[in-house]
Amino acid sequence: MNLNLLLQLALSGFLLGGVYSLIALGLSLIFGVMRVINFAHGEMMVWGMYVAYTLLVWTGVDPFFSFLVSAVILFILGYLLQRTIVNRILDFPEAMQVLPLVGMAMVFENSARLIWGPDYISPQSRFALSSISLGFLTVDTPRLMAFSIAIIITILVLVFLKKTDMGKSIRAAADNRLGAFLVGTNVNKVYAVCFGIGTACVGSAGGLLVPIMPLSPYIGAPFTLISFIIVILGGMGSLTGAMVGGFIIGVAESIGPELITNIFHGIGLDLDFPNTMKQVVSFFILIVIMILRPQGLFGGKKG
Amino acid sequence: MRKKMDRRTFLKYSAAVGATTAIAGVPTLLRAQPKEITIASIQPVTGVISDIGIGQRRANQMAVDDINARGGIKSMGGAKLKLLLADTEAKEEVARTEAERVIKEGAVCLVGPFLSGNAMTIATLCEQRGVPFVMDVAAADDITRKGFKHTFRVFVTTTKFADSMLFYMSQIMKEKNISKIRGVVTNTGDLFGRVQGATFLKALKDKKFPIEVLGHIEYPLGIQDLSAEISKIKALKPDILFPVARPGDAKLMIRELYKQRVELQGIISPGSPGWYEPEFIRDMKALSDFVMDNVPWYNPIGKMYKEVNAAFAKKFPGKYIDTNTGYAYLGVLVIADALERAKSTKPDEIVAALKKTYLKQDLMVGLAVAFDERGDNVNADTAMIQIIGQSLKVVLPDKAAEAKYIHPMPKQLWERGM
Repeated sequence: MNLNLLLQLALSGFLLGGVYSLIALGLSLIFGVMRVINFAHGEMMVWGMYVAYTLLVWTGVDPFFSFLVSAVILFILGYLLQRTIVNRILDFPEAMQVLPLVGMAMVFENSARLIWGPDYISPQSRFALSSISLGFLTVDTPRLMAFSIAIIITILVLVFLKKTDMGKSIRAAADNRLGAFLVGTNVNKVYAVCFGIGTACVGSAGGLLVPIMPLSPYIGAPFTLISFIIVILGGMGSLTGAMVGGFIIGVAESIGPELITNIFHGIGLDLDFPNTMKQVVSFFILIVIMILRPQGLFGGKKG
Repeated sequence: MRKKMDRRTFLKYSAAVGATTAIAGVPTLLRAQPKEITIASIQPVTGVISDIGIGQRRANQMAVDDINARGGIKSMGGAKLKLLLADTEAKEEVARTEAERVIKEGAVCLVGPFLSGNAMTIATLCEQRGVPFVMDVAAADDITRKGFKHTFRVFVTTTKFADSMLFYMSQIMKEKNISKIRGVVTNTGDLFGRVQGATFLKALKDKKFPIEVLGHIEYPLGIQDLSAEISKIKALKPDILFPVARPGDAKLMIRELYKQRVELQGIISPGSPGWYEPEFIRDMKALSDFVMDNVPWYNPIGKMYKEVNAAFAKKFPGKYIDTNTGYAYLGVLVIADALERAKSTKPDEIVAALKKTYLKQDLMVGLAVAFDERGDNVNADTAMIQIIGQSLKVVLPDKAAEAKYIHPMPKQLWERGM
């Protein structure tokens, strides 16, 4: 077994896991408060990527700064989306909540194609090609930076929810919508702000990913899926769960195929676990956790 | 005196105008109007490979427009071609329903669909419906191994890809005095990627070719993170990487190879997109240099190539005719040629005409388009191209070479001052 390789894989997976956490945090926040799953989440991330990319091309500002602009623009988009569409479907049956948001995903996806074109783009940015060598390990600088910033944003969001008035209102509205309404909270506004924060998280994650991944209008859907897995894994609505889940999935997808291949070889099977099936690893973990702990790792009481 | 248009005058004039139109109109109706012949372009215009799909559709459309501008199908009274547009979204099930739709809307022949997996479902459907299907691009051998009577392939098969790859590799190894190469093969997990990778590996094994394969790594189409795959490649320490890629992962791969400092003598694709599209060189700049790709390329000295490329580049700034768009254009020419000889839009007669195709062309490398009993173009061929000084050059075969190939790479990716 090549231990160096496994450590390298674990490291890359762990760093990317930080960004996954941030993406999933947005989804989890929205679900925890409004009980709505934002199926346009991945597509909104792609918008965050394109905003940062456009700024890079127009002004030369590095995505590691312009992700803030992505966050602001995605906050506004999310706020408006909540006010115009999501707010109307809050009391609908779950199956009916899905359709408008899947529809929005298509709108985001195809409008991105109309605006920015269909080509895969890998813009040159300051840190896109840098890496640090630590003995046998290679640390990918843009991943390290994206990871660090993602963790800072996540902590800031958690502090915001705990300490500020708005954060407290959001938690109150999540806990008991009617109760919050009765004590005079402007629930509609709180919901819209909360949706905006959720999409701002995913927007900034998008910005952070620009130096790491090529952009194309159609890369969003797998991210919606992966953040959905992370959120269920960590416990629906649990923010800590989203963070931990992000790391688990990041590391598992990176290390899984190699580890399983090694196990196959170890027991004398001449069989390679193909990387094409790495999502099988995440789904397998999901199923195991669903069986052992149906409410997810950090899910509270049932329901 | 001011004339005023009252109701009576209006009716009078209207009647007169109506009658004139009717009288003049009748002979027009009686005269045999040039018919319109409907064909359909079915390409992955949205979804993971939409960048290429849109190029394909544009080239299909441009070929139709050019044929119409030259007077349509002359043997059928100058009938104009009408192109229905269909989008597979790069999904097999959508490919089938879209093919079904265009056939219902009257398409007498289909052209497309770039992705081999999509091609398989469309070919099956066309066989059931008895509609001819001309594959402009789609390489997987299997599609024409099912005994379909209505499917024709203008493009190169994966077997042909592998054969020419070994031919070019043996020349490189001989000229550079290399007795053995240790390589890693990677491919995407869609039908084309898998078949292309597997056929190359099989050819190496069957011919006992002196390339030792240290590893074979497969990853999903549309992947956004290749760090794990590249770490594995690095651990295997190959001399040459043989990647079968797509535009997104090609760029991702180069960047990861750079960041993880993977030392290579060369990156030589057995034949795949990703390496020759304008966006690869635009985004990768100096990092794109020295990549080689074994592809069905345009004929740089062809008259038809020069005309078509000039028109294409003018219409779509920043783009040029490459493997895919070139064959997309050629696919429509093959259909038009068959219609011209069939003098009919009946499926059987079009198929009969397609079988007898001998279409001279100097758009792409290779000779005239002619189909064997399976429906494969016997004269489709590949060239080895290399990016030198951030521009694409044919380097092999010698007779078509625009430059001499450079191997091994004189500079590793991270030594190129990016």
